[in-house]
Amino acid sequence: MIATIPSATLLGVDGTPVLIEIHVSAGLPGFTIVGLPDAACRESRDRVRAALLSSGSVWPLRRVTVNLAPSGSRKGGAGLDLPIAVALLVAAGELDPEAVAGLGMLGELGLDGSIRRVPGVVPLVEAVEAESVVVPVDCGHEAALVGRHQVRVASNLAELLECLRGHAPWPPLPDPPSPPPPGGGLDLSEVRGQHLGRTALEVCAAGGHHLLLCGPPGSGKTMLAVRLPGLLPPLDRDDALVATRIHSAAGSPLPGGGLVERAPFRAPHHGASAVALIGGGSAWMRPGEISLAHGGVLFLDELGEFPAPVLDALRQPLEEGVVRVSRARASVSFPAQFLLVGATNPCPCGEGGPRGACRCSDGARARYHRRLSGPLLDRFDLRVVVGRPDVGALLGGPAGEPTSVVADRVAAARERARARGSTANAHLPADRLDELAPLTPVAERLLEHRLRSGSLSARGLHRVRRVARTVADLSGAPRLVDDEHVSLALGLRAEIVVGENAA
Amino acid sequence: MTGTGSVPERDAGRVPERDAGSGPDALPDEAWVAALAGLPAMGPSRLRAILGQWAPVDAWRRVARGTAVSHPAVAAACRADRASVAAAWSRAALDIDVAGGWSAHQRAGVDVLIRGSAGFPAALADDQEAPAVLFSRGRPAVLAARRAAIVGTRTCTRYGAEVATELGRDLANAGVAIVSGLALGIDGAAHAGALDAGGAAPIGVVGSGLDIVYPRAHAHLWADVGSRGLLLSEAPLGARPEPWRFPARNRVIAALAEVVIVVESHSRGGSLHTVDAAMARAVPVMAVPGSIRSPASAFPNALLADGCAPVRDALDVLVALGLSSVPAGGQTELRPSPQGDAVAALAAVGWEPASLDDVITRTRLGPGPASLALARLQSDGWVTCRGGWWERVATDIEGRRSSP
Repeated sequence: MIATIPSATLLGVDGTPVLIEIHVSAGLPGFTIVGLPDAACRESRDRVRAALLSSGSVWPLRRVTVNLAPSGSRKGGAGLDLPIAVALLVAAGELDPEAVAGLGMLGELGLDGSIRRVPGVVPLVEAVEAESVVVPVDCGHEAALVGRHQVRVASNLAELLECLRGHAPWPPLPDPPSPPPPGGGLDLSEVRGQHLGRTALEVCAAGGHHLLLCGPPGSGKTMLAVRLPGLLPPLDRDDALVATRIHSAAGSPLPGGGLVERAPFRAPHHGASAVALIGGGSAWMRPGEISLAHGGVLFLDELGEFPAPVLDALRQPLEEGVVRVSRARASVSFPAQFLLVGATNPCPCGEGGPRGACRCSDGARARYHRRLSGPLLDRFDLRVVVGRPDVGALLGGPAGEPTSVVADRVAAARERARARGSTANAHLPADRLDELAPLTPVAERLLEHRLRSGSLSARGLHRVRRVARTVADLSGAPRLVDDEHVSLALGLRAEIVVGENAA
Repeated sequence: MTGTGSVPERDAGRVPERDAGSGPDALPDEAWVAALAGLPAMGPSRLRAILGQWAPVDAWRRVARGTAVSHPAVAAACRADRASVAAAWSRAALDIDVAGGWSAHQRAGVDVLIRGSAGFPAALADDQEAPAVLFSRGRPAVLAARRAAIVGTRTCTRYGAEVATELGRDLANAGVAIVSGLALGIDGAAHAGALDAGGAAPIGVVGSGLDIVYPRAHAHLWADVGSRGLLLSEAPLGARPEPWRFPARNRVIAALAEVVIVVESHSRGGSLHTVDAAMARAVPVMAVPGSIRSPASAFPNALLADGCAPVRDALDVLVALGLSSVPAGGQTELRPSPQGDAVAALAAVGWEPASLDDVITRTRLGPGPASLALARLQSDGWVTCRGGWWERVATDIEGRRSSP
């Protein structure tokens, strides 16, 4: 006898529908899974057997063939345990086929019959071709985010069989956990001093400009960076769904309510491999840190310590907002639109600020910074030198503006940019700068002076003009960009690597 | 066992005998001394010890045979590693073409001055650690002028570079020749200032052969000093700028100078060698005061604390040299005066490097107005920005260096 139950498997951040087909016939007792299962999938036979016996069901002593259709593509993970177990009962005649009609299933089985959560429930449920779907009780909220299916939850196999047979009502969805405080509970008012660093964060959040912080250890680079997500507006519905799918597929815990609505913050250690950052892996194609930072902030502390190939791998996603990972078996693309915040020491010893302050020679400094390749460095519209705040500011100085006030200005500036029809000022096309970011004559003369003196390159000019547009938006200037905006944009573009701006 | 090394004696002896014939093309002493100076690890004291015992041709023969170190004076200069030194010398001597090296010096216009010969600088001839030989290019006449050494760190601040340039310019205008090492930072700035003045031409003492320009960034400066002033080295053509050569070079600078001025130096810099050598020769040492917070001024400030005379301007140096004339070349201020916020911003930058954040904190201006004020000051030439740090500009040293 044959039974089928729809389910899904994960590739990258997308689910692929899988139909579980089970054939039970007379013959020598045996259990075969076909349809390119991976190791975890093949082991499901033992889990299913133990779970069925623990739940008081019988294990059919007949010949059982499980086919995972479509048979040509690889299936991975333990999420197919539950549909295999239920379909087996149907095929063995233990369960009425009507009880599972229109029902898709996902979940891993424990040996005691408990149903465990699986990563990637959001994209998996999206892919299930059925009207309603049964998921582990822990994943109920994630599954409900998709909104297309009637979501049923079950905590163990015996309970699920009772519900399927109509002997018990379906359990309700559990209450969602309480959402975390916005901004991770970190407020900008806790940052003392650091006027320029705060300004840079604000401009970064408002214009979508990538930010490089350069300063000695203990100067507050990390403190500033972790407060950036609090300044970013909440993700809109589409971005939130995309981010949620990515986080779900990576198996990272979702915030209360399920949907990733606040800008995420990811800070991988500099030992991270290119695959960990970009995404990939041999079979499963897990999204990398840059995709987990989609819609939020990717913070790379000690930027110079990251291996050069890892950093260079960031260039294409920075440019295109998606990363395509190709392997022999499959090719997937992950969304990866993020704000890059880098932090670096000013010189190898870490203590030098200005030239002459430490004994690192110009050559040693140049070598230290050469690890940041020119093309990557060029992506940072904002490069800011931060120093250790002085003692007065740390102890008795007035508290800075709180996150809420700055976030309101950021939202208003973003609204002005949107009214001009651009997504973020960082992406303004160069040929429309004259139209969208017109300069006052004084500002034009200032830029001309910098170009003539060789302290600004032609490529740097466009970037300065984009940042100046954001500065003007933040100060409420509707149209013209004046010399104050341009000078601040120039001041926010410090020449971290000596000679680099003129190149 | 006197360490004849692995070289058979007959091989080592053959080379000099072929070259040292008594025919019409016999080589002068200078050729042999240049060859000796080009041997590996041939420091000034070893060369002095060798040439103190034998005539140059004899010395070369003994060194090539590996027997030179058996003389007690030479052995003392070579200390414990004399066996390996003797082996290295006799090995290297096989590869040295003495006649070819000599003609290369002649072709390059490099004078080889042996101590005791006519052209040898008088100031160095009686020195306690006098160079046995000097290689020179340029105009030896500049040695007749009064001489002041300006030394300091390679990683100087804007302040240090400006002061070195001003001192170089004003002293040269007053007829004082600047002695320095042509290194990056203070040395180069002092030479550039002196060349710009057009007064007394500078003297550059370098650690490498006169054909090995080090640092490469100073190729122009090196050429200018060689053509208008004088370049001196203890190393023959082709000698690399090995680290041990620089302390030796610093002692020559100290010995040549009548006063040594330390502009900026970290607490453990190469200037220590120069100052020690100057003090050992009773050459007065003067120091340029700097901020007590600037690591680059740590050494000159320590010298001042120890009782060295301060240098505030060229006049202080001239007084120390017993010259009283006020240097010419005071400049009138051509830059437009700062207006409005720029006054406070210029004061906030002060004379030490300041970040934009420092300026914002000190002036209590917003980031926008503060950057605007700095941008205006930069356009007018009052401040400059390097690596994200703002520094005040006293004189336009970049403009001066680029002019011939």
